[in-house]
Amino acid sequence: MTRPASRLPDTQRDADPEGSAGGPGDGSEPDARFTFANERTFLAWNRTALALVVAGLAVAQLLPPFPGVPFGRQLLAVPLIALGAILAVAGYLDWQRNQRALRHGQPLPRSPLPRILATSITAMAIIAAVLILLSAALK
Amino acid sequence: MTPPGTGDATPAGDMEEIDPGLARERTSLAWTRTAISFAALGGALLKTTPTVGGPVLGMSALVWGLGRMTHRSGRPEAARRLRQLMITVTVTLVSAVALAMVLLGGGSPPR
Repeated sequence: MTRPASRLPDTQRDADPEGSAGGPGDGSEPDARFTFANERTFLAWNRTALALVVAGLAVAQLLPPFPGVPFGRQLLAVPLIALGAILAVAGYLDWQRNQRALRHGQPLPRSPLPRILATSITAMAIIAAVLILLSAALK
Repeated sequence: MTPPGTGDATPAGDMEEIDPGLARERTSLAWTRTAISFAALGGALLKTTPTVGGPVLGMSALVWGLGRMTHRSGRPEAARRLRQLMITVTVTLVSAVALAMVLLGGGSPPR
């Protein structure tokens, strides 16, 4: 639901008068509610990234080793933490793209992040299941 | 009576259009949740690796402070961008440290 910038109060529309053409800050100041919603989405992605880092650390530090699979814990922990780092950066880029679209009154671009997250978590679940079965077989 | 945010609301009929206070409050709470997430991670790390846990715990204060930061510069978009960038860099740094801990064997031995 995008709102034309012309419907905004003058105080909001003129909040960034020096925004130059071509820069990320150009266009007109969008409705404050959309700006806040975009910011909350960015923060939610960052919390997801942090949760993945915590999960990775927990796997590496708290899980007992998989019998017969010496690097099993690292195999699970490293992708989780790396995905956390990727989500943090991608979340920022997503926020920037959305903010630019809002400032120009354009439709919001489709985010690749949900697909990346879902695919990665599915892959991690499969790797975890294989590791458990493998270590049970090798015990 | 038309509920707020529904129907053919005139600008005066929409509570959040007059003052986006609720949106601002929700965003403020989101910043607080993010700071708590940092604090939880810092607290957990403090038990195993205090040298890493301490700075991460300190970062939670930084995140909370960033959430409270007001736009005094007169260029809200630039200030917003800098703030988001700082959070991104912080989370990426924490991830890099965690990755180093896992790869260099900084984890505690299994009991």
